[in-house]
Amino acid sequence: MVYTKKSPALLIIGMVMLLWGWLNASGSIDGMQQYFQKSAYSDHLKVKEKFDAEFRVASEIAAAENKPAPDMKMPKSKFDEAKAFQANMSYIFGGVATLLGLLILVWTPKEGNLDYYLSIFPGMAYILLIAFVVRWGLDPMFANWGKAAQPTLGWNFASIFNLNYVVLGIVIGIVIVNVFKIPDWAANGVRTARFFLKTGVILLGALYSATELAQLGAISVLLIGVFVLGSIGIVLYMGRRMNTGNSMTAVLASGVGVCGVSAAVAASPVVNAKAGEIAYTIGTILVWGVGCMFLFPTIGHMLGMGPVQFGAWAGTGILNSAQVAGAALAFDPHGIETLKVAEIFNITRVLFLPIVVLWLATWYVKHEVGAEKVDLRKVLFAKFPLFVLGFILMFLLSTLGAFTPSGHYQGKYFSSEQIKEDKLLKGKETKAIEAELARLKEPAGAKQLQDFFTEKAINIGQRHATPEDAYKGLAELIANRKVSTREQETLLKAVGKMKGLDAVAAGAIDKASKAAYHSSKTIGAFRDWLAWLFAFGLIGLGMQITMAALKQAGGTPLIIGGVVGTIKAVGSLIVVLLFIKEFI
Amino acid sequence: MRTPLKLLLCHHGSSGAQAAETLAHEFAVPGTTTLVHCLVVPELWAGMQGDDWLNNASTRDAFGSYVEGMLESDARREFAAVESRCRERGLAYASVMRFGNPAETVLAVAAEVGADLVVIGSPRKKGEQGLNSRMELEKLVRSLSCPLLIAAHP
Repeated sequence: MVYTKKSPALLIIGMVMLLWGWLNASGSIDGMQQYFQKSAYSDHLKVKEKFDAEFRVASEIAAAENKPAPDMKMPKSKFDEAKAFQANMSYIFGGVATLLGLLILVWTPKEGNLDYYLSIFPGMAYILLIAFVVRWGLDPMFANWGKAAQPTLGWNFASIFNLNYVVLGIVIGIVIVNVFKIPDWAANGVRTARFFLKTGVILLGALYSATELAQLGAISVLLIGVFVLGSIGIVLYMGRRMNTGNSMTAVLASGVGVCGVSAAVAASPVVNAKAGEIAYTIGTILVWGVGCMFLFPTIGHMLGMGPVQFGAWAGTGILNSAQVAGAALAFDPHGIETLKVAEIFNITRVLFLPIVVLWLATWYVKHEVGAEKVDLRKVLFAKFPLFVLGFILMFLLSTLGAFTPSGHYQGKYFSSEQIKEDKLLKGKETKAIEAELARLKEPAGAKQLQDFFTEKAINIGQRHATPEDAYKGLAELIANRKVSTREQETLLKAVGKMKGLDAVAAGAIDKASKAAYHSSKTIGAFRDWLAWLFAFGLIGLGMQITMAALKQAGGTPLIIGGVVGTIKAVGSLIVVLLFIKEFI
Repeated sequence: MRTPLKLLLCHHGSSGAQAAETLAHEFAVPGTTTLVHCLVVPELWAGMQGDDWLNNASTRDAFGSYVEGMLESDARREFAAVESRCRERGLAYASVMRFGNPAETVLAVAAEVGADLVVIGSPRKKGEQGLNSRMELEKLVRSLSCPLLIAAHP
C-alpha cells in the first residue's frame, strides 16, 4: 500500500454527504433551502397555492355531494425536485464514499493497480464535496447577495463579476492548493480532474447537429488558423528581435499561439527548452489565462454577446485551453450553448497542436546550431489528442440515432407515434381549425395563403408550398388530431403564424406542433451531467494552478506573451463582433 | 570564529550563489573543512504542468521526464563546477540534491550533515531575471542551530 493513504478523510466526506442527503430528504433544512433556492421556492408557493385552491374546491364539491374529502396529492414543485436531487446525489455519492472510506481504513491492499485505483477516490470525493458546496451553497448565496446589494450599488456585483459555481469553484481550487495545500490522501484523486474534463468534452459530442458542427467547425478552423498561425509568427519575430533564444522563443510560441500550458508541455521536449524557459512560459500563460477567465465573461456581458459570439471569442482569444471552458461556463453557467461553441474551438486548437509542434521543431532545428533532428512522424503520432476521437464517435453515434431517433436537434426529435392521448387536439380546437379551413378555401383566404407562402418563401421539399398543401395538411390534422409527418408540421407551423388566423386555431396548431417533438432522456441526462463533469474538472484544474508557477511570469517572455495575448484577445473580439452572427 | 568542519554551501548557480561560494572559500580550511554543496530544486516544479488537460498521458510523462532530466543535468553541471573549484583549493567536497521548500530543506540538510556553518547568497535584486523561488530567511534564522553567513550581493 504505497498510493492509498490510511486516512479517515473519505469516510468523513461520505458521512457529511449522507448527512446532507438526510437533512434534505427529511425537510430539516427547508428554511435554509428556501433562502438558497429562491426562484424554485417561489414556484413551490405557486404550486401549493394552486393545489390548495383545487383541494378546497374538490372538498367543497365532495361535501355538497356528501362524499368523503378527496385524496389529492400535491404535484412536485421545482423546489421539491431540487431538494430531491440534492438528497439523491448526496445519498449515492455519500454512500459510495462511506463504503470505500471504511474499506481504506480496514484493508491494506498490496502495492499495485488496485492500490492506485483505491487511492484516487478520496481526492475525487474531496473535489465532489467542494462542487456540492459551490453549486448548492455558494452559487445561490452570491446570486442572492448580488441582488440584495443591487439597490445600494446600482449594479449586481455577482452577475458582473460572474460569481457563479464555475468561477467560484476554480477560485476555491486555487485557494486550496496555495493556502492549505492538497492533502496527501487527495493528491491522486485530484489528478483525475483532467479525465473528467475530457469525458465532458466527449459527451458534449452527442449534442451537436451535423449542420452546427459543420458551421462551427468551418468558423473555428478559419479563426483559429488565422490567430494561431498569426500569433506564432509574431512570437517568432519578436523573439528573434529581442534575442530571447531559439528554444525560449519556440516554447513561448507554442504556448501563446495554440492552447497554452498544454502546448508548452507538448513542445518543450521537442525544442529542447531549458528548465527556466519552461517556467517563464508556463507562468506567463497561467497569469494571462486566469486573468482572461475573469475578464472575458464580464466584457462579453457588457457587449451583449450571445453564446456563439462569446464562445468563438473565448475559444480564440484566451491563451490557455482550460480557461476557455471556464470562461464559457462562467459566461453562461446554466446553459451549455456557449460551452458547445467554445469547445469546438478548443478541439480545433488541439488538432492544430501536433502540426504546430512539428512546425516549431523544424524551425528550431533550422535555427539552432547543433540541434538534433526530430522524428516528425513520431511527434505527430504521440501528440494526437485521442479524446477527440471519442468526441467524434459520440457525435456519430448521436447523429445515427444511438441515443435518440436520428435527425434530432439538441436531443429533440419528431415523432407522431409517440404523441400521448392527452396531447391530442380537443373537439373545440379541431372545430376552430375546421372553421379556419373553410375560410381559407374561400378566394380571399386562398389568396392570403398564396401571398403568405410567397412572401415567406415556404417550401415543401424542393417546390413552393401551395394553398392545396395547406388544405390537405389542415384536413389531416382535423382527422388525426395530431400532425403525422415532419413536412406537415413544418408547413402548418408556418400557417399558424399567418396574420388574421383565429387565435384558438393558431394555438391549436402550435400545440399540435409542439406535441410532436419529444426530448431524449439520454441526451437530457448528458446535458445534466455535463455541467457536473465540467465543474468537477475545473475545480480540480484550479487545484493545479500554484502561485509558485504563476510567480515565474516575468522578463521578456511576459512582455512578448502580453503583447501577443492582447493582440489575440482584442483582434479576435473585433473579428467576432464584425463577422460572427448568432445564427447557428 | 573556529574553523568549520562541515560548511554547508547553498549553491544553485546564480550570481548570488557564486558570491556565497567565494565567501565559503574564505572560511574553509583545506584539510579540515568539508564543503557540503546543497542544491535545492524548489517545489515550484511540482506545479509546472499547470492545468494542462489536453495532452495524452504519454506527452505529460515525456514532459515530466524531460524536466527532471533537465534539472538533473543543470544540477550535475553545478556540482561539477563547484567541486572542481574546491579540488583546486584542496577542499574536501560532498554534494546533496533535494526537492522541496528551500528554507526547510536547508534546515534538514544542515541537521543531517552536522553543519557548523551555513553560507548562502543574498536574495536576487528586484527585476533581475531568474526563477522566482526565494529562501524564507526568517524561517531559516529562527531554526538553524549553527551560524549563517549571507554573502553580499555581487
